[in-house]
Parts: sequence; C-alpha cells; structure tokens
Amino acid sequence: MSLVRKVGATLGAAALSSFLAGGASAVDLQFFFPVAVGGKAAETIEELTNEYAAANPGVNIDAVYAGSYQDTVTKTLTAVRGGTPPQLAVILSVDMFTLIEEDAIVSFDEVSKGDTEWLKAFYPSFMENSQTGGKTYGIPFQRSTPVLYWNKEAFAEAGLDPNTPPASWEEMVEFGKKLTKKDANGNVTQWGVRIPSSGFPYWLFQGFTTQNDVILANSDGNMTNFDDPKVVEALDFMIDLSKEHGVMQPGIIEWGATPKAFFEGQTAMMWTTTGNLTNVRDNAPFDFGVAMLPAHQRRGAPTGGGNFYIFKDSTDEQKAASLDFIKWISAPEQAARWTIATGYVAPRPDAWETDLMKKYVADFPAALVARDQLEHAVAELSTYQNQRITTIFNDALEAAITGKSTPEQALKEAQMQADRILKAYR
Amino acid sequence: MTHSFDRALNTVGAWVLALVWFLPLIYAIWTAFHPGAYATRFDLLAPLTVENFVNAWNAAPFARYFLNTVMLVTFILIGQFVLCTLAAYAFARYAFPGKSILFTLVLLQLLVMPDILIVENYVTMRRLDLVDTIAAIGLPYIASGFGIFLLRQTFKTVPKELEEAARVEGAGPLTVLWKVYVPLAKPTYLAYGLVSVSHHWNNFLWPLIVTNSVETRPVTVGLSVFSAVDQGIDWSIITAATLMTSGPLLIAFLLFQRQFVQSFMRAGIK
Repeated sequence: MSLVRKVGATLGAAALSSFLAGGASAVDLQFFFPVAVGGKAAETIEELTNEYAAANPGVNIDAVYAGSYQDTVTKTLTAVRGGTPPQLAVILSVDMFTLIEEDAIVSFDEVSKGDTEWLKAFYPSFMENSQTGGKTYGIPFQRSTPVLYWNKEAFAEAGLDPNTPPASWEEMVEFGKKLTKKDANGNVTQWGVRIPSSGFPYWLFQGFTTQNDVILANSDGNMTNFDDPKVVEALDFMIDLSKEHGVMQPGIIEWGATPKAFFEGQTAMMWTTTGNLTNVRDNAPFDFGVAMLPAHQRRGAPTGGGNFYIFKDSTDEQKAASLDFIKWISAPEQAARWTIATGYVAPRPDAWETDLMKKYVADFPAALVARDQLEHAVAELSTYQNQRITTIFNDALEAAITGKSTPEQALKEAQMQADRILKAYR
Repeated sequence: MTHSFDRALNTVGAWVLALVWFLPLIYAIWTAFHPGAYATRFDLLAPLTVENFVNAWNAAPFARYFLNTVMLVTFILIGQFVLCTLAAYAFARYAFPGKSILFTLVLLQLLVMPDILIVENYVTMRRLDLVDTIAAIGLPYIASGFGIFLLRQTFKTVPKELEEAARVEGAGPLTVLWKVYVPLAKPTYLAYGLVSVSHHWNNFLWPLIVTNSVETRPVTVGLSVFSAVDQGIDWSIITAATLMTSGPLLIAFLLFQRQFVQSFMRAGIK
C-alpha cells in the first residue's frame, strides 16, 4: 500500500515538474567531457551540471567522463557514426574541422536562431579556433595558453633579480646560462629552462613561431606554412637551447614529468600550460613566478584546450536545451568557478570582473598573466585532417630535436606531406 | 668445466632478465608506499604511507568498477569457453561442407586489429540496444578466433581411439566432448583463460567508448582519471592506483603460478 502511494506521489511530482517545465516531458541530454587536469576537474563539472539540473527540472544532463581529449574525440566520433551522438561535448578546439567534415556538429548561429550577440562576450583569440567560414562552431570552455613559470629562489641564487623573468629570447638564453648548474663531474644538476617536447611538441613550438611572427596555418584550415624560413629559424633556436647554449636538456623532454622536475629544482624555468597553475601553486616548495612567454619579433603564444560543441543529430528541443546549458556554464559566475578550480583561463572578460574572481586574483595575481597574454595569442594549429597534419608536423619536430634530420629538411618534408593531404580541401 | 660455466651464465642471465622485468614493479611498489616527495628519490628511511592508496581509491568509484570488471571477465570467459569448445570440436572432428572456408575465416580474425572494428561493433551493439551494458563490452570478443584455433589444435591431438571407446560405451557426441576432449584439454583451457582474463582486465578503449555510466565501466576507465597530462603526472598516486587495479590479477597469478606455468608448457603457448 505504502509502496503504491510512494510511486503515485513520485509520478505526481514528476508530472508536476514537467508541467512546470512548460508541459513538455523532460529533455535528456548526454554530455561527453574529457579530463586533462586531474580528479578535481571531473568533480567540478559534475557539480556544475547537477546544479544546473536542479535549477532546471525539465532537463536531465547525463555527464559522461570520456577519458583524455584523444579518447573523447574517438568516443564521440564512434557514437556519431553509430547513430547515437551525444547532444553536447567538450572536445579540443582544433578538432573543429574534423567535426565539421564528419558533419557531426551544428553552428551556434543556427542553434541561436540569429541571436548571436552573446558570442561577442568571449575573448577574440579564443574565438579564432572556434569559428570558420563566418560561423561559430565552438564555445570556449576549458581553454589554456602556455606560460613561463620561474623559480624565484633559483634566480636569487644565480644572482638574478628574482622578480624579473626573461622578456626576450636573448634574455632567456642569458638567464639560462647563469641558472644552469653543474656538479664536480660536469653533470648538470639544474637546467636553465625546460620546454617539454614529448607527444605534441607542436604546441609549445608554436610559441616560438608566433614570437618569430609567423602563422602555421590559415584560418580556412587548408594551408600550412611549415617550411617558412621563419619557422625554420624558430626551430633552430629551440634546438640551439640545448645544442649551442646548453641551457636545456637535449633530446625529447617529457610533458608529464615537467612540473615535478620544476618542483624538485631540476630546472629553474619551465614552459607549460596554465592548466598547471593550481598544481604548481599547491606543490611548488619555493616562491615561484608566472610570466608571459619571452618575446622575439613580437610577443606570442598559441591558445589551447577544449570547446563546447552541439551535435547535429538531436531534436530541436535538445539543441535548445544544450544551448541554454552552455550559455549557463560559460556565464561569468560559472566560468570563474571553473577557472579557480582548474587554472584554465576564463574565456570572457566579464568573468574576471566577478567578485569571486577578483578575490582570487587579489590573492593570486599570477592567474592574470595568462589572461593578459591572450592579447598576443593566436589560434592553435588546426586544419582539416588535423590528426594527420599535426602528426606529420610533430614527427618533423621530433626528427629535428633528436638530430635525425636538420630542421630545414624535416620541415620541408612535413610541408610537402601536408600539401598532399590538404590539396583536396582548397 | 664448460658445462658449469654454461650453467652459471644461464643463471646470471635469468636473474638479470628477471630483475629487468621486475624493476618497474619494484619502482611502483616503492613509489606507491611513500609520500610524493620520495617518488624519484631513494631513501631507505623514507616514511611509509598508505595515503596514496586511500586517495586513489577515493578518486573514482573503484568498488563498483572492480565488480564490473570481475563480471565482465567472467562473462567473457564463460562465453568464450562454451563457444570456442563447440566450434573447435566441429572443426577438429566433423566433416561438413564449407569447413575449410569457414576455418579460414576464423583464422582471418586473428589478422584483423580489433580497433578497426570499433565503429562497426558500436553500430551492432546499438542495433541490439546494448550500448552502455557489460554485455556490449564482452560480446565482440566471445567468438574468439584464437580460442577456436587453439582448442581445435588441442582436440586434434586427442587419439581417435579414446573417442571410439567412448562411442562403444554408448556416449553421444556431446558426452564425448564433455567426457573425453574437455578433460584432456584442461591445460589449454587454463592457459587460454589466463590470456583472456588478463587481456580483458586491461582493455580500455572499447569499454570507454561503448559505456557511459559507473554501473557498467571497468577499472581501467577509473584508472585513466589519473593520467592527466595537462597537470603533470603524480607518480605516487598513479602507481598506487596501478597496483590496486592490477593487484587481484597479480595475486591470482602468484597463487596459481605452478599450474599456469605447467599448462603453458603443455599448451605450447610460450
């Protein structure tokens, strides 16, 4: 008897809530998200989706952890081809062209039905990777940019001003030489700088090319610029950090082990993503500073990270609900919370004006560096057939870094291979 | 003289290989039981801790994941045993039209990388309405070409006289299979079972793709939470989680070590 009553009550409540939601039955959304920054990020995403669901009883969001960025795009594309795409997902901004080619996503212009004013709230440098052909396909969410972290104690010890990071390539070499320490046998115990190059070397290398005032790919995603003399020059410089100047460990340097090497004093400076900010803040046993990457012809850095996408094969109701959710989670208040939890760069200026964020940066001004660098940032390398093109480019960089090929030769070959693939898209 | 020298060389070689194989495990054990600060530094007196295990355990619903993985490998193993036994028996002892073509198709499966079939498998699972179930993770692996091939080869070595004797006693084909072939192929079952269980215990990509909820996902998906490249790798917690997830397999192997080694020798998988 009591069970029947309970079921009845639940049904009544469900009916009531769906009535309140406009008479329609609840909209179910499936949301795939990757985690690239440790367990806390997954918790925060679930917290935010639950909060949204609580405030919007007409919408059920099933937030599905989908592995790394790479796994997430694989899982999503499999689901798309299998006929059960998620309604929305966070996927690398550089996978935009791939998703368009698969005909998997819809533009926000279409879903917003002409009301595109809200898209202007985001930083233009983050939108570069989110728009093509005059349409917006992605909304910046967990976006990052590489910055330079430096160990203030090591700087003081080397006789440098602990509060002045290197501002140019020349200064980075000069400081690096002072910071590189050797033991009695001539083995290096502390390197000047560490710029990881395993897995996806193109990303940090794009810092060098941007600073050398050259762009790696056009915004239509069908033309690369790998063998430009300025790109060769940038690669020469990166390799010379080890070969010529001896301020960086030679060979391929691991990404994953980089923060740890910094904490343990194996390097006095490191280039890595702002996604690491919270980690460094929690774990560095010394006073550290965060700076923009050093400049050469100009200042510059790529952006990186993931965007929200809405998938085509959903009902109009689902698309509208996805849009509403994305608008909510990328709104200033939520963006600020996400930034504080992870270290990602809040993708819109007004998020930095919220009280929460003001309190955070007052306490931790280093968080502002990435934001200020956005003014100089460019789109991350992204083309059609992005996986293949970046693999070609990464292989070329690795061949040059390990000395298997000269930078010029490696880049020339990479350009030829890229041309062959991209010809079909011009 | 040369004989004892030979022997010494063998022993030394075995020890070196064993150590090389064992080093990562030793490192994992060392790192997992010490605070993060000692991850890359060796200090005999470093304080011991189980905190890494506690943190790892709490980072994902591992209890549920373990249950799922156990259900998954059991389901796959039973399915494979039943299906492969029946198929292998047919291929080994019966003549029927199209036998060699069918057997070639089974062998062909050994040459195809399972990763290529992910999309196709996904579509099939969706048609069966099984996406996000443990069955969906296991089904594509049940008709194992390797298992059929291995058992067929084993069944072929069984002397025909044994089968004939059983037939004389009035046993039907299934009784013969159950009473004669299966008992004689025990070492093969054990060896194949080990390979199958450890493979599916460690499988990651397909389960990640075809499942969405905590109720169906295996431990490997839980483990992947720790490999967050953007933030740098915390070796202590990763090694703790790795030991934790591979622990049951390691312990099982150590317990049944003798049987396993013997069955591998007999089954000819080396």
